[in-house]
Amino acid sequence: MSGSYIAEERAYLWLCACTDTDLHEKTALLRAAGSPLKLFENAEEIFPAVLQNGAERLQGGYHVREEAIEKHIAHLEERGYFAVMPFSDDYPESLRQISSPPLVLYGAGNRALLAKRKFCVVGSRITPAWAEKLGRDLAAELAEKFAVVTGLAEGGDAAAIAGALPSGNLIVVLPCGLDECYPAAHASLKQKIAERGLLLSELPPAECAKKYSFHARNRILAGLAEGVLVLSAAKRSGTLITANCALDFGRDVFALPHNVGAAHGEGCNDLIRKGAFLVTQAEDILSVYGMEPAVRETAELTEEERRVLAVLRERGEAHLAELAGRADLRVFEASAILSSLEIKGLAVKSGGNKYSAV
Amino acid sequence: MIAKIVCYALSGLEGVPVEVETDVNKGVPSYDMVGLPDTAVKESKERVRSALKNSGLLFPMNRITINFAPADIRKEGASFDLAVAISLLKASEQLLGAETGDTVFLGELALSGDLRPINGLLPILISAKGHGFTRFIIPAGNEKEARFLGGAEIYPARTLSDVVKHLVGTCPILPLETAEFAPHAAGKTSADLKFVKGQPMARRALEIAVAGGHNLLLSGPPGTGKTMLARCLPTVMPDLTFDEALEITKIHSVAGVLGEEGIVSERPFRTPHHTATTVSMCGGGNKVVHPGEISLAHGGVLFLDELPEYKRSTLEAMRQPLEDGKITVSRAGGTFTFPARFMLCASMNPCPCGNYGSSERTCSCTPAEIRRYRKKISGPLLDRIDLQVEVDDIRYDELTSSEEQEDSAVVKARVDAARRIQHARFREYGIGTNAEMGEREIAAFCTLTKEGDDILRAAFERMHLSARARSRIIKVARTIADLDASADIQPKHVFEAVSYRIYDKIG
Repeated sequence: MSGSYIAEERAYLWLCACTDTDLHEKTALLRAAGSPLKLFENAEEIFPAVLQNGAERLQGGYHVREEAIEKHIAHLEERGYFAVMPFSDDYPESLRQISSPPLVLYGAGNRALLAKRKFCVVGSRITPAWAEKLGRDLAAELAEKFAVVTGLAEGGDAAAIAGALPSGNLIVVLPCGLDECYPAAHASLKQKIAERGLLLSELPPAECAKKYSFHARNRILAGLAEGVLVLSAAKRSGTLITANCALDFGRDVFALPHNVGAAHGEGCNDLIRKGAFLVTQAEDILSVYGMEPAVRETAELTEEERRVLAVLRERGEAHLAELAGRADLRVFEASAILSSLEIKGLAVKSGGNKYSAV
Repeated sequence: MIAKIVCYALSGLEGVPVEVETDVNKGVPSYDMVGLPDTAVKESKERVRSALKNSGLLFPMNRITINFAPADIRKEGASFDLAVAISLLKASEQLLGAETGDTVFLGELALSGDLRPINGLLPILISAKGHGFTRFIIPAGNEKEARFLGGAEIYPARTLSDVVKHLVGTCPILPLETAEFAPHAAGKTSADLKFVKGQPMARRALEIAVAGGHNLLLSGPPGTGKTMLARCLPTVMPDLTFDEALEITKIHSVAGVLGEEGIVSERPFRTPHHTATTVSMCGGGNKVVHPGEISLAHGGVLFLDELPEYKRSTLEAMRQPLEDGKITVSRAGGTFTFPARFMLCASMNPCPCGNYGSSERTCSCTPAEIRRYRKKISGPLLDRIDLQVEVDDIRYDELTSSEEQEDSAVVKARVDAARRIQHARFREYGIGTNAEMGEREIAAFCTLTKEGDDILRAAFERMHLSARARSRIIKVARTIADLDASADIQPKHVFEAVSYRIYDKIG
């Protein structure tokens, strides 16, 4: 018998991981039994009373249940996972407040992050280069004050991860069990997050991602955080689910403004129209929480670099040839200077020889 | 009587002397060939019989034995016809008094007695001249190709009877006059950089690529002129020297793709289709080994349009020739080495739908699709492409109207100047261009200032460049400095070089 979980926790884990029930049924069972421990011991009576086909769905007796839970806990311990339950000390307070809090949070990595203040940064998979760059920088700055919460997708989520991972103040919530990885291409990234930050999932480790699990995951993202920043979202984007959950839960919503007519930004502009905070720099977020941004060191620029940067700031996204013309430089000279600005983190190159200032 | 006539067989790019020995004996009329002739050579029997008859000559009704020596190499093709006919005439005493001992006879016969041109004439002439032969009789159809040899008496003949009349002295053929080699015969291609509108980045990349001998990848939406840009590459490359032209002509002659002119005077531009097999790309064949596209592009440009569509194995096979400048093909019949020092220019769409980065159309690809598409090109191959540049999809005429559209000649002058600097620099190192530099040369000629080194380090951190990109960037920076006529590599050169590594930033 594993010693790290007390009897009540074991009963709880059994209900969550080893029974074929959904969240509503689990809640109903718990309510009927009064406590997980009672449910575990008297499952033979409670299951048929609460559920349809309850007797068939609860197969085997007490010993079978004991065995299943032993196996589950052994698996968790072998992989180094921990499990947090609503009655655990470090179950995030913010999650307790939402309408359907996850019954169990499986985690891998730095458990202490659960106690930190949390802020969520998300973006759709198709995120323009400038928004990725800005998202990365914002996440890096936010990570100094918060634990940054995000998903594991490409685009916006990946930008948030890239920004926050170096500091380790990063919580990534998976749409699948901790053993799985979705998208598969981010397997090595997931490994790094487990080493430096924290991976969370409400699903048992071996569970695969289902269509509906993304929706459920987004509710945890919004639930964990005090506020949600949306880097990019099209008119109908999964990212907006996170934003809507945040509104339901009474969290602050922030969004980057996008160009009019840019399909990948319509959702963000919609959010702003409805009252979300407009964000162009970390200060816009930090000031809402009464925090001071860290003083950013300014890079030293040459005369030409300043000239190109000024043109770039004035034009927004612009083609290299246009920038060169306006800065009165040869095209290849401008290209060299823009490279330099890119290295200094002041400009970013998007497709088609276009640049924008950050 | 026994007659011996010399002709040549091809083995790779080399000519091998073959003696045709004919013995005409009394006996039951028969006609045998020995000495490992293949089907095409054996069939010369019938061609020679008809050609003799139709030229008013006698086909001996005796016991004829023809031997090809040395007997251990396989003889292929129809280029032995003339030699067989002449040795038969000589053996049957129809060429009394004719001197044939030091003459090489080459050519295929038509039934009418006309001489047909053969493939690979120039490499044969060059090898034979090396073996000490200076007198040749060749088909008039190969005349242009042979003109450039020099230092030999070459008699172009139209028909078998012309040859006979020349040999017996009744109507001698005038020897060919040696032609002067003029590189870059103008007006052959219509491509010129002045017809390329806009595309300042791509033009610049083109210039750098040619100046330093770097490989080039053009990435851009469909229909933006990637192919047109690539076609301009040969027009800005340095003129061919005579030796280079001869070497290229040899390859083209063996492959049978030599044009009207008889010598390759312009740098080749090869565009194999993406269905090309590894053998057609690298060379090979069943018995005779033919040079592949990479050898035909020797000294010029190999243009691979839609790079990700090529078979992976075909592209991977090109990696080693890209490094060595030659390809060695091994077959049961022997091992052959063909030169393959070419400039690789590839084009691709930025994503499967082609609209990534376009300002007019929106890209509908997910990041995973784009990554999968770009992954079709292996890292090691991409590693050998120093310059990667995006081609614009919209016309920037109004933006670039101030900038004159230079024509190829102006760009070529700058390229020539940069090449001269490189030749002077690498004189003792046995290489010609910056792209060929190894670690030793990089250490010797590409020392970065402290500032330049810091830039590179910062670039690696900020832009997530791959480690192998480092020496590529330095080499390109060296070429940019050469174009600038600058002795050291300055920070701006490094910055510009960094901007041509767009695909390193992706995983």
